[in-house]
Amino acid sequence: MSAAASMPASRRAAEFRWTKLLPLALFFALALAFPFLPLGDRREFLLQIGFFTLVAGILALSWDILARSGQVSLAHAAFYGLGAYGSALLLRAGLPWGLALPLAALLAGGVSLILGAVTMRLSGMYFAIATLAFTEVLRTVIQNLPESVAGGANGMLVPALLGGNSRGQYLVALSLLGLTALVSLAVRLTRLHHAFAAIRQGEETARVLGVSVVRYKLAAFFISSALAALAGGLYAGKTFFINPLETFSLANSIAPLTTSIFGGLYTTLGPILGATVLRVAEELLHNSVKNGYLVVYGLVLMLSILWLPRGIVGLWRRGRHGGDL
Amino acid sequence: MELFLQTLINGLLQSGIYALVASGLALAVGVVGIVNFAHGEYLMIGAFLAWAGSAYFGIDPLLALPLVALAVFGVGALTYRVSIRHVLLAPELNQMLLTFGLGILLQNLALMIMGGNTRTVSTPYQASSLSLGELSVGGPKAIAFGLAVLILGALYGVLYRTTLGRQMRAVAQNRRGAQLIGIDVDRVYLLAFGVSCALAAVAGVLVSVLLFASPTVGLVFALKAFAIIVMAGLGNLTGVLWASVILGLSEALVQTYVPGGGGWSDAVFFLMIFGTLVWRSYQGAFFRRAT
Repeated sequence: MSAAASMPASRRAAEFRWTKLLPLALFFALALAFPFLPLGDRREFLLQIGFFTLVAGILALSWDILARSGQVSLAHAAFYGLGAYGSALLLRAGLPWGLALPLAALLAGGVSLILGAVTMRLSGMYFAIATLAFTEVLRTVIQNLPESVAGGANGMLVPALLGGNSRGQYLVALSLLGLTALVSLAVRLTRLHHAFAAIRQGEETARVLGVSVVRYKLAAFFISSALAALAGGLYAGKTFFINPLETFSLANSIAPLTTSIFGGLYTTLGPILGATVLRVAEELLHNSVKNGYLVVYGLVLMLSILWLPRGIVGLWRRGRHGGDL
Repeated sequence: MELFLQTLINGLLQSGIYALVASGLALAVGVVGIVNFAHGEYLMIGAFLAWAGSAYFGIDPLLALPLVALAVFGVGALTYRVSIRHVLLAPELNQMLLTFGLGILLQNLALMIMGGNTRTVSTPYQASSLSLGELSVGGPKAIAFGLAVLILGALYGVLYRTTLGRQMRAVAQNRRGAQLIGIDVDRVYLLAFGVSCALAAVAGVLVSVLLFASPTVGLVFALKAFAIIVMAGLGNLTGVLWASVILGLSEALVQTYVPGGGGWSDAVFFLMIFGTLVWRSYQGAFFRRAT
């Protein structure tokens, strides 16, 4: 946030080379090969971990896109939840997955425009708390609606994605992560990048420079929330069952935030790498410790802020910050 | 009419604890300039310490209160030394996320050690009650409210009548100015943060008697404290008291008069936070000063 702020945008743009996409391409190549490896007895389990890692990656990267516009949100659980519940309700209405998921994403995007418009003038902790409150209101409403609408506190059943075919589900998640990465790169390589960075570094200044702050902040909200809803829909399709407490849990807002900071803020590779490392660590811990495995998230978040403010991506990309891929 | 008065009394009694938690948070935000997202976790530590004292040593939670306060003051001071102090000059985002991480860490450590169950503290006066005509007030509730009022009185006495209190308020108003006239700002921060945590812990002791101790008990109270300081306006310590009473009363009213109130009262309270924040943001000046 500091060193990059002083660097002229033109220089950062000039630094772009296609070779910088290599680590990202390598990740996707490996991820694509993964379900075709001979995984042995634990194949189902490993594919499931892989699937949720991809979902975590989508959620984190979508959060990061919003954060690039200076909006540090705690409402991602809301859009994740809207994606899950939206898909579930549309499926119940008889739509196929191929329509339900994109429609749920649009729905979440639409809701995010309202939230974004209302919280337009908030920043920092106020924005964070307002978005957190929004999520809780949404959760309480769904929880207290009559059970015939969305299952109330008991939750509702969701038809499995692709009839429960693990490899197929994994590949769907991978392609949606690919889509999210493409959107993220597009944001990075177009004028959106400069607009977001300008708003993040100083809204007043950005306005003086002629950036239409309202429009760009809303755009960030829409893109980010629609993508987060895709992650929520995938989650619903894999677990067959959703309930308000888990889907709208604060943990779903914290995880993308921690993941992005740990991996490397404002980058495409960072949140994806962060999700991979953290999810795997979480699974390992989950097996050995029953309660409180989220301890890792707290510790990682604290240590990253204190000693690794640029995330793991920053370990090898010295000297640049805030505009990396 | 009785029901209405009873509701008002319950709401008022509840607001004592809210005011304790919120004044602590207001101290951290106002003096140190740190929005402590882990504030509720110090409450949780206080509640568990009170429970442990009662379960293992048979000490009444209310007698253990000064000890718990002192212990958590120490924990808070330590937290300041090893973490908060290093991000004082960092962007607000980093400070916020650091305390956020701390909160997750503490909460899940508690989950790991204590498990997810709630633990109740039993006291001889648990079932006692005072009756005033047709109205009745739970004994523990009344004691908790009395203690909260006492402690808040002491806090405001210190803030407005002693040198240390003046120093704290000076630092809250202007960090650099305070430093220029020779106030040891770092020391003031340490004390303010420690006191902030101790206040949360005191509330935690009361919560352990009234409610229970559990790893997640702090979150709700921390969120309510946020709502209160946001309603009061940053750094406005007397506003905290009024806002606590408003929140306590409105919660009690919703619980009594809205059908299925228990479930909806959370939504009402979060709507209040959301509404206040948004409303304030369109008033302007308040937020420019705060950021």
